[in-house]
Amino acid sequence: MSIQLSGVRVRLGENDVLRNVSLDLDARTGAVIGENGSGKSTFARLLGGLISRTEGTVRVLGLDPGTQARQLRRRTAFLFSNPDAQIVMPTVAEDVAFSLRGSGFGPDELKDRVNTTLNRFGLAALAEHSSHDLSGGQKQLLALSGSFVRCPELVIADEPTAFLDARNARHVADHLFRDTGHRLVLVTHDLTLAQRCDTAVLFADGRIRTVGAPGTVVAEYERMLEC
Amino acid sequence: MLSLYLPGDGVLHRMPPGPKILTLLALVLGVSLLPAAWWAACAAAAMCVIAYAVAGLGDGAVGMRQFGRQVFAIRWIAGLTIVGQLIFLGPEPAVANTARVCAAIIIAALLVLTTRVTTLLDTLERALRPLEFVRLDPQRAALLLTVTITTVPVLAGLARQVREAQRARGSSGGLRTFAVPFLVMALKHADELGDALAARGVG
Repeated sequence: MSIQLSGVRVRLGENDVLRNVSLDLDARTGAVIGENGSGKSTFARLLGGLISRTEGTVRVLGLDPGTQARQLRRRTAFLFSNPDAQIVMPTVAEDVAFSLRGSGFGPDELKDRVNTTLNRFGLAALAEHSSHDLSGGQKQLLALSGSFVRCPELVIADEPTAFLDARNARHVADHLFRDTGHRLVLVTHDLTLAQRCDTAVLFADGRIRTVGAPGTVVAEYERMLEC
Repeated sequence: MLSLYLPGDGVLHRMPPGPKILTLLALVLGVSLLPAAWWAACAAAAMCVIAYAVAGLGDGAVGMRQFGRQVFAIRWIAGLTIVGQLIFLGPEPAVANTARVCAAIIIAALLVLTTRVTTLLDTLERALRPLEFVRLDPQRAALLLTVTITTVPVLAGLARQVREAQRARGSSGGLRTFAVPFLVMALKHADELGDALAARGVG
């Protein structure tokens, strides 16, 4: 099983942001939907080991994100909605190479991997370009390159298309959904994207309301929005 | 003031990072130790011009285009330094001291203009390794310095956003109305960057 949660509660400040969340998710692609403040992003950050649970058990790829975060991060990638916050290095190629620091690759292999990844995401011509001067869509593609260059088993994407126009959003989504052997947890407000996943999870008020086929879950969400 | 790497194959580009840092450090020390005299101001300016001319920056103007950019980038530092010293010290020490400060910054900029940040990161890591015995993590320390350098354009972008938002709301913009939102945005960015570094396996 790739993701298992049992009786998870996450308390941030004075609020329980996740309450009694239990889930067994083994689909290749899973969408997480719900209103703002429903707990979707907290759920994603919990899976990525970026925050800790207050109680309950969490297993991601068989590891506990609370105590085995370092091992887990070697096998997962996390994509944020704001690409600016993910860029660390000044040029495109250096930023992608940054993800491979400490991986033990020699300079030639590292360069090959970076070039292959940049080609795959259509950024090869911008390799020496300043990372911060890219367009929003290119920055998100750079963030994707930095994630995929490590060949992650699981990609957790927290509203990765929120800052993008329709064309770039589709482009980024196509890369995320392309089967390269990775699993995908996609937090999104875009219900069309959610429908492309194998399964969907609907969050409401810090709890899981429904899990199932995306069509059914999206229909329930839409009914919820009409109330 | 931020200088980004310029691809090239000049003398400084080809020089290994360790000797390059030592050479530039010696030049910076040299201009810093000059006396507060008119001739020292001329000497500091001459050292800058010569350093940029021989660096081989490949800007099509024997390094002078880049030199001009660096001078323009530190105009506020130069202005503030010279005004304060003119009031208290007189023209000769004011001009000489300002020339020395500006020359030191401009010469130091040659390091980032001719060295990739990745190379700097590796060099710093190696240089800081002996400090492991005092429990300094060289990887973290080098990363801290690198992230500080690369975050400057992000902060400049945030400052621009705040100014544009002020103008859009018809505000002429005071220090407090600028500083508060800028600090909030900068701290939020720091949080996000911390998460992004953690997610990329750092820390």
